[in-house]
This record gives sequence, C-alpha cells and structure tokens, in this order.
Amino acid sequence: KFRMPTAENLVPIRLDIEVDGQRYKDAFTWNPSDPDSEVVMFARRTVKDLKLAPGFIPQIVQSIQSQLADFRSYEGQDMYAGDKIVPIKLDLRVNHTVIRDQFLWDLNNFESDPEEFSRTLCKDLGIEDPEVGPAIAYAIREQLYEIAIQNVTSARENRISKKGRRGAEHFPPSKAGGAALDLIKLFSFRSSVVRKRKEWGYYKPTLDLLSNEDVDALETKEERSGR
Amino acid sequence: MAGRSPVKEADSSDTIPTPAQSKPPQISAKSTTPAVKSEIPSTPTPCSRPPPSSSDADVIHVPSYSRWFSREKIDACEVRFLPEFFDGRSPSKSPSVYMYYRNSIIKQFRENPSRKISYTDARRALVGDVGSIRRVFDFLELWGLVNHSAASAPSKPAKDTANNNKSADAPSLEAPSSAAPTSSSSKHSSAASRRFCGACKSLCTIACFVCDKYDSTLCARCYVRGNFRVGLSNADFRRVEITDEPKADWSEKDTLLLLEAIMHYGDDWKKVAQHVGGRTDKDCVAHFVKLPFGEEFLGHPSSDEAESGFETNKRMRLTPLADASNPIMAQAAFLSALAGVESAEAAARAAVTTLSEVDDNTASKGRRGSFARNTRREADVSSNGDTNLNALERAYADVYALLEKEERDIERAITGITEVQMKEIQDKILHFEELDLQMEKELAQLEGMKNLLFVDQLNLLFRRSYALKTEERAVENVKPNVS
Repeated sequence: KFRMPTAENLVPIRLDIEVDGQRYKDAFTWNPSDPDSEVVMFARRTVKDLKLAPGFIPQIVQSIQSQLADFRSYEGQDMYAGDKIVPIKLDLRVNHTVIRDQFLWDLNNFESDPEEFSRTLCKDLGIEDPEVGPAIAYAIREQLYEIAIQNVTSARENRISKKGRRGAEHFPPSKAGGAALDLIKLFSFRSSVVRKRKEWGYYKPTLDLLSNEDVDALETKEERSGR
Repeated sequence: MAGRSPVKEADSSDTIPTPAQSKPPQISAKSTTPAVKSEIPSTPTPCSRPPPSSSDADVIHVPSYSRWFSREKIDACEVRFLPEFFDGRSPSKSPSVYMYYRNSIIKQFRENPSRKISYTDARRALVGDVGSIRRVFDFLELWGLVNHSAASAPSKPAKDTANNNKSADAPSLEAPSSAAPTSSSSKHSSAASRRFCGACKSLCTIACFVCDKYDSTLCARCYVRGNFRVGLSNADFRRVEITDEPKADWSEKDTLLLLEAIMHYGDDWKKVAQHVGGRTDKDCVAHFVKLPFGEEFLGHPSSDEAESGFETNKRMRLTPLADASNPIMAQAAFLSALAGVESAEAAARAAVTTLSEVDDNTASKGRRGSFARNTRREADVSSNGDTNLNALERAYADVYALLEKEERDIERAITGITEVQMKEIQDKILHFEELDLQMEKELAQLEGMKNLLFVDQLNLLFRRSYALKTEERAVENVKPNVS
C-alpha cells in the first residue's frame, strides 16, 4: 500500500509563488492527517510573519491543497514492494552552506526517519545554520516521494502488462529503479560488502561555506537560469 | 549557534526560579505545578504578568504562571496541552523530539529577546512537520515562554485562532488566548447554549424566555414573577427550551474557570457553579474531586495558618505535593501519611466508588456527598504521592527490561547468523559426500568391467588351447589313416 516509506507519513510541499513582484519560495514537510483548516491558518501566519501581500494567502492555500490532493490520490494504490535500497543524493545550497552527499536508503524500512537523519547529520558536521536541517530532511523526503510514485506507476504498468506475459515477475526488478538492481549485484556473495576505494569520494558528505559574494553570484545565476 | 550567548542563558536561568532549583525534594520527572500564592496558576490572565524591563537585555522575563518551565524536564501541563508527543501513537513524535522543538524555539527566541520571533522563523530552523512545530510554538507563546517581553502580539492571530476553535487540534490552546476580551468573546460564541437571565443574572438551565423585541432573556423565575421591563407583557416572550445541559465534557476552559472559582469562593459551590457557567454545583464538585490532584489548589479561608507552616516542612519530605499556601492539602497529606499508605488508598478507592454511586443516584444527600468528598481528597493526595515514587521505580525497571531485551535480540541475531553459516557448511559437506559415493560406484563399476575382461581373456586362452589340442588330435588321427 502506498505511503511515504518513513516513520511519519509526511508530505514534502514546495511553494514557489509570485504575486505583485514579490516572490515566495519555500519547502517544508506537511502532515497530511492535519485538518484542512490548518492549511488556511498556516498560510495566514506565514503571510503575516513574512509581511507578504495578502494576495498570497489563497495562492498558498491552493498550492498546498493541490499537492496534498496529489499525495492522497496516490495513497490508496499499491506500491511495488521488493528489494529497495536506493541511493539518495543531496546537493543543496542553503544561505551560506553548500552540502553535497550521497548515501543509500532502504525503502522497505518504514521506520526510517529523514528528520532524525538530518538532525544527526547537522550535529555531526557542526552546521551552525539552523535552516540547513529542514532543507536536508525535505530533500530526502522529496526524493523518497518521487521513488514511491515511480513504484506506484510501475506496479500499475506491471499489472497491465501481466495480462500479456506470464513471466512478468521477472520484469519488475529492471523497471522499478535501475539503482536497486545494481545493489542486488553489490550484495551478492561474489563481491564484498566493503565499498571500493574509488567510490569513497562519492559517498562522503562535503560541506562548503560560501562567502557573501559567492552567495550573491550563485543567486543571480539561479534566477537567470530559472527564468 | 551553541556557544553564542552563554551569558544570557545563565542570567535567564537565574531570574526564572525553575522548580529544579527551588525545590530540592523534587522526586518525579513530571514536576507538579508549584502553587502560586495568590494567582491562578493555569489561567494566563494578563494581570499576573511581571512588568517587563527593557533596560536589562540579559534578563529574560517569564510570566509567573510559567514558572514550571525547565530546560531538561517536561512538565505535566505540557503533556496535557500537546498530547500528540506523549501518547506514542507516532514513532517520531516522542518526548525527546518535543524537547528538541521546544528548546530550540526558546533558544532562538532568547538570542534576541527584544525581537518577537515569528512562527515562520521558528519553523524554518526546525526539522519536522510544520503542523506539530506550529502547535509547540503556539503553546510556548501562550505561556509566555516566547515573545513575552517583546512588543505585544497583534490581536489578529488570536482572533483567527479563536475562530478556528472547533477545527484545531487543541481548541483549549486557542480559547484562553492572551487578551481577555478575545477569550470572553470566544467563550460566548462557542457556548451558544448558555444563557443568563437579564434580570437576576442567573444561569438559565431548563427553559428561558426570550423577548425578541427588546432582545432580552429572562429565566423562568423572573418571567413568572413578572420581573421584566416596562412596556412588555407576557405575550411578548417566547419560551426557549434549553435541553438539560448534556453531560458535557469538561473542557480545559471549564476546568480553569472552576479552579478560579474555587480559589475565590472556597466551599461555596453555588457561586462556583455560577462562575463556571453551565454546570450545576454538584457537577462542579464531582469534577473538582476527579481532577488530578497535582494541579489543585484550595484557598480555604478558615484554615489555621500556624499549623500549616510547621507541617509543610514535614510534608515536603513526605509527599511531593506540599506547599505552604495549601493548608488543606497539607493537612490531608499529613493525615494520609499518618494513617498509612494502604489504608489511605483503600479509603480513597472506597470513597471514589461511593461517590460515583452517589452521582448515579439522582437523590443524593448533601451531607453524605461532602463526607465522601473529604475522604476522597485525602486519599487522592496520598495515592498521588505514592504513585510518583512507584512511577520512578517502574521507569527504572522498564529501562532495564528494555536493555536486556536489546541484548537478547542481538544475541539472537548473532546466533541466527552462525546457524546460517553452519548450514552452508553442512550443505557443502553433503554435496561432497554424494560426490564421493558416485566416485565409489564408478570405481566399482570399473572393477567389475576389469574382472569381466579378465574372464573373457581367460576364456579365450582356454578356448585357444583347447582348439589347439583338438587340432593336434585331429592331425594325429589323420596321420595313421594315411599310413
């Protein structure tokens, strides 16, 4: 059954709204079991706290609700369950901190908690900026969400294609995430569990602190590419 | 961020008398709310705020009703207001997560106490789902632990939250919001069924009479007596039935009002009922007694103060409930300590059952009820004290049990792994044995074939020698014939 493969069934929400020349970008996690009135309240408080134009409120509400509706539409459906160890990549810039990392995540572990992972990562790396933590948790959740959606669609396709082929059981591994397949090979008895030395560089977190000029330069570049 | 303002933290902890520092015999982890002398502890009324001094930036002011706050502990009222973190329903909402949210919000606020911290600032810096962060933030703001000495909060969010009263998770959180007018307005808006008589100012319970012309409400008594305004007659009023106030759940608001009333009126339950509004005096009493005793306060006027002063010292050692301003509580605790725990508990239980029976019977005698009440109060006190100790022991035992379980799990896992390896080796051995067997069979076969070959060779030799012999004889036979 579809759900976020984490301990808490939280939805990643991304907002990017522009009203009257004011741009509001945000990303956070939302609990879908909160009542809908929460959405309105959250929108109002955010607009008030950030002193945005009141025209933002309905847009924020609409955006959050449509993302929640998307999530809920997936909710009743089947998710392909199999060997699911997937690589998660982090490549974010939050204010002055740039973090890059790659690690493996077990999708079948429904007790996993991106928030806790993010808290520990920030503590271990000694990240001072408190906004980095939520951004990391959000990035992880977003990727997990994407993969979960892929699973649902692939499970659906498999069900359709199963009518034609008897041997459809052999196909799911190749469809649902090519990354998962690699890991089956990795953990077979022939190769060792220890990672090869040349791959050490990829799987290590790298942390950069930018100066103000770098930040400004990057921001203008992003805006230009975004437009 | 961790080491940025150590000075501020130290100062603030000095000015806020946390329970941990002022009360050494604090046994339980969930500290019971200390008594506030003349103030109502759980109602955050604006009048009890200390004057904020903006001159000294290092001192953080916290309203006296939030004195229970301590960085390392979780107080009982926090558990009450934010149960989602403590009921174990979701695995990532645990008390430690709650403490992380709470402490980081407070730390963030205290870094710049003159500036109000907004919910969005707090939310941005915390890992977690925004709904629960919002609830923690609201709770802290309500209790003045955050945004207290800064500029007064705009009334807009209070009103908004009051309107969303019914749909929010913790309606009680929003209802007694900071400004008194908003709270009273929400009270009136949410309690639509409560009506007060315009003439005698009493609560209308069964039916009331409403006049639409002048928009006044009269209770049945006033209507009958003709206590209405000049210009109106009997006919102008229409009867409005108010169904017997359904045995409504006691919301937080009602509980707060009840406690307030008890503080002011003591034993006059009629006045208390009036103050609470919507409950009969019997209801009030019943609910009051049923309240968990750690949060109750009795300002009984006719107590003797001298005795209480002496007894409280002893009581502090005996039970964690003691407080100088609760003479009745102190006496009750003393009595129960004297009587012994088991007997007090038994008395309490008996009293509880009788009282609930009394409740069920509609015809209850006041005297009996009050007697049961008194004994129950005493018993509750003692049982509460006991359970605190037991709870701690139980917690320790639980921790050890968990540890042992973990160890056992690890052992089991290791044995599992070794078993699997052993099975592998066994399989290999079996395989080899089979091979061996096959080899032997083939060997035997080969031997057999060798033997056969040997026999054949022998046969051939014999035949040959026999054939030679017969040939010779034949030749001999021919020769004499010839000669």
